[in-house]
Amino acid sequence: MIGMLAAAFRRGVFSIGILAIFVLFVGPVAILVLTSVRPASGAYYIWRGTAFTLHNFVDVMQQSQVVKAMFNSFVLSSLATIFSLGITVGSGYMLSRFSGWIQRSWFATIYIFRTVPYISWVLPLYLVNTRLGIYDTYIGLLLPHIAVHVCFFSWLMKGFFDGINPSMEHAALIDGCTRWGAFYRVALPSAMPGIAALAILCWLSTWNEFLFALILTGQRTPMITSTMAQFVTETGTEWNLMSATAVIAMLPALLVTIFGQKYVIRGLRM
Amino acid sequence: MLLLIAPAAVVLVCFQIIPILVGMNASFRDWSLVNPLKTWVGLSQYVAVFTDPVFLKIVLPNTFILMVSSVSVSLVLGLGLASLLNKSFFGRPLVRTVILLPLTIAPVITATMIRWSFNDQFGVITTFLAYLGLPEVAWLSDRWPSFTLVILTDIWIWAPWFTIILLAALQGLPPEQFEAAKIDAATPWRTFIHVTLPMLRPVITVCVLIRSIDAFRTFDQVYILTGGGPARSTEVFSVYVYVQAFVNLDFGRGAAAAGAGAIIMLLVGVGLYRLVNRTMVRSR
Repeated sequence: MIGMLAAAFRRGVFSIGILAIFVLFVGPVAILVLTSVRPASGAYYIWRGTAFTLHNFVDVMQQSQVVKAMFNSFVLSSLATIFSLGITVGSGYMLSRFSGWIQRSWFATIYIFRTVPYISWVLPLYLVNTRLGIYDTYIGLLLPHIAVHVCFFSWLMKGFFDGINPSMEHAALIDGCTRWGAFYRVALPSAMPGIAALAILCWLSTWNEFLFALILTGQRTPMITSTMAQFVTETGTEWNLMSATAVIAMLPALLVTIFGQKYVIRGLRM
Repeated sequence: MLLLIAPAAVVLVCFQIIPILVGMNASFRDWSLVNPLKTWVGLSQYVAVFTDPVFLKIVLPNTFILMVSSVSVSLVLGLGLASLLNKSFFGRPLVRTVILLPLTIAPVITATMIRWSFNDQFGVITTFLAYLGLPEVAWLSDRWPSFTLVILTDIWIWAPWFTIILLAALQGLPPEQFEAAKIDAATPWRTFIHVTLPMLRPVITVCVLIRSIDAFRTFDQVYILTGGGPARSTEVFSVYVYVQAFVNLDFGRGAAAAGAGAIIMLLVGVGLYRLVNRTMVRSR
C-alpha cells in the first residue's frame, strides 16, 4: 500500500516536472502570441479581459517598411543559403579527402577565423562597404553572410564526407569516372541528408541574424530583425503591434520546429 | 583540386580578413565618424580602451561572467534534460519539440518577449511573481537584476542546444557498461557519475569550447534586452564596441576595442584548440 502511494507520488512529481519544463519553454512564446491578438487597450493586462482581435496583424502588414523587411530577409536568406552551401561543399570535400600542407593550413585558417568575434570584422566592414558603395544594398549584406558561414560550414561538410566511406569513390574512379565525377555523382548524393539539414539551419540563422543587419543596412534595405529592434528601442510602447511583428517574424521558426524538427536535430548534432 | 577551396577562400579573404586589416589600420588612427582626420596616433586608442574604467570594471567582467555562468548552467541543465529525454515517458515527443523553440526563434525576438514578460509595470512574469508575494524587483532598471535577466535569456536559448547534442551522444553510447552497472546494483546517480559522464566527456569538452567562443560575442540579447543600460552597467564586449563606434561615433576607439577583443579571443582560441586536440587524442 505504502509502496503504491510512493510510486503514485513519484509519478506525480515527475509529471509536474515535465509540465514545468513545457511551461518554461512555451510560456514566453505564448505570452507574445497572446499579446499579439489583444487590442491596444487590452495589451497591458493580457491575463484579463476577453477581447481578441487580428487587427494588429492587419496594421503591421500595412506598414510598407515591415513588408519590405520581410521580403528582403526572405530573399537574402535564400540566396545566402544557396551560395554558402555551394562554396563550402567543395572546401569540406577537399579537407576530408586530401591531405597536404594546403589542407592543413586551410583547416587552421578556418578554425582561427571562427574564433574571431563577429563585431571585430563587421565593424570595419562598414567602412569597406561604404567605400565600395555597397552599404545598405543586397550584395553588401549577402557577401558577409556567405563569409560568416565559410569557416563553420567547411568544418561541418568535412564531417559529412568523413562519415562516407571513400571506397565507393575509388570504385567509381576505377570504373572510369573522373575525380570530379566521383565527387559529383558518388560523394555528393551520399552527403545530401546532412546538407539538407544544414540548409535549413543556414536559412534560419540568416533570417534570425541581427548584428550584420544593424550595422550594414539602413532605411533602403531593411531586414526583419533590424526593423523589429527599431520598434523595441524607439517606440517600445505599442506592445500589441510589436508582438504582432514578432509573431510574423517567428513564423518560419515555428514552421521549422513543427515540420522540420528532424532536420534541425540532425543539423545541430553535427 | 585547389579550385575546390578557391571560392570559399576568396570570400573569406575579401569579407573577413581584409576588413580585419582595415579595422586594425583604423584602430591606430584618430578616426571619428563625424570628422575622420585619419591622423596616425599610434597605440593611444588601445591605451584609451585599456584605461577606460567602463571597459575594465564593467565590460570585461560582464563578458566573462556571462560566458562562464551561461555555459556552465546551460551545460548542467542540458545534461539533466538530455538524461530525462533519454527515458521514454508520456509527452516526450512534445517536450523534444518545444525545446527546439529557443534554437529556431531569433534571439532578437526572444529578447523582445523576455523584455515584455518582465516589464516593470505590465509584464506577465513580474505580475505573477508579485501575486506569489515575492518582493518586487525592478528587473530592467538596476544593474544586477537586468544582467541576471540577460544571463537567464542566454541560458534559455542555449540549454536546449546542449540537450540536443548530449541526447544524441547518450543514445549513441554502448549499452554493455550500463548493463554491467545494473548487475552490480549501482544506483542511477552513481551510474550517471561513474559510467555516463566519463563516456560523455569528449562531447562535453567540444560543446563547452564551441559555446565559450560564441558566448564571448553575445550581442543580440543584450542589445535588445537592456541596450547595455541602465547607465552602461550591462554592456558586454560586442555592445561596447558598437556603442564606441556608432553611438559615440569614435570609429578608431571602436576598432581598437574590437581588435583587443579579437586578440583576446585568438589567444583563448589557440589555447582551446590545443586542449581539444589533446582530449580527442586521449579519448581515442
